[in-house]
Amino acid sequence: MDDFKIEAGKYVPGICFDSKNNIFDIKGDSYPENTTELYTPVFVWLEAYLGSLEKNMEIMFNMELRYFNSSSSQVLTNFFGIMEEYACNGMKVIINWIYDKENEIALEHGEDFQEDAEALVFNLVQKDSNA
Amino acid sequence: MPKDLYAFKDDLRNRKVFVCFNGPLSQDMMVELGNVLKRKMKSEQAGRSKVVSVFSMLVEQAQNIIRYSAEKVPGSPTGKDAGELSMGTVMIGREDDGRYFVLCGNMIESGQVGPLREKLTRLRNMNRDELKKYYKEQRRKKPDAGSKGAGLGFIDMAKRADRPIAFDFRKTGGNFYFFSIKTVI
Repeated sequence: MDDFKIEAGKYVPGICFDSKNNIFDIKGDSYPENTTELYTPVFVWLEAYLGSLEKNMEIMFNMELRYFNSSSSQVLTNFFGIMEEYACNGMKVIINWIYDKENEIALEHGEDFQEDAEALVFNLVQKDSNA
Repeated sequence: MPKDLYAFKDDLRNRKVFVCFNGPLSQDMMVELGNVLKRKMKSEQAGRSKVVSVFSMLVEQAQNIIRYSAEKVPGSPTGKDAGELSMGTVMIGREDDGRYFVLCGNMIESGQVGPLREKLTRLRNMNRDELKKYYKEQRRKKPDAGSKGAGLGFIDMAKRADRPIAFDFRKTGGNFYFFSIKTVI
């Protein structure tokens, strides 16, 4: 399958799914006016891609979201729910939740999602502030 | 009218309001208000978490105006500006104790007063742990019918704010009310 890409914008995170290496990067802010419109194609691509993989593959998401609004938070919950199902079926799913050490809110959100993670490997990764 | 403007500005200053917007609000306008807010807070040496918190209040409240205001400016009949704009009011300022506040308002239809009052009163009576739990529960659910967002905005605000959400409904002409909401952080 082709790679999937969304360029980062003011309120849209950059999304880059590298299907060769199974490393997916999501980075930036997410507070679009209409989250469903933005994320529906992402889910469509992701589900088609995941469905085409062998069950025991390893797949990694590097997620560095500085700020996201409440409706994006619901999208993330939905996303982790889907990945949880694949993880339960034998896929090794690694989530690296990357946060700036001065952004306690991003850390709190990460901890919150980590609490609910069961079959997912959910890492909180601190990085230094780039002032 | 030119004379009155100073009195209005002075009133805002007395109320420690440093951002004041009233009119048709768009997503891009909100982003710019957010940029100004971030710059202002940085110049006041606010920490990064504080900046993100106040910014998030602005986004949740302004997006509620954009989604739900009953007062609209029609878009142009064709082209990329075809979408209508929502009228609303946004104020950001400081409390006497130095905390920041975000105060927003927009028109709503009278039928929405009851459900909104109930929702917001319920949140006012919850403590932080209850709010956290409720937020998680609601986040797993599909959005309410008629909700263009996740319907999570109020809970998110209540959870993050230093004080219970303050709100008011003012009856205006016809079948409409002016709904205002204030968060402090």
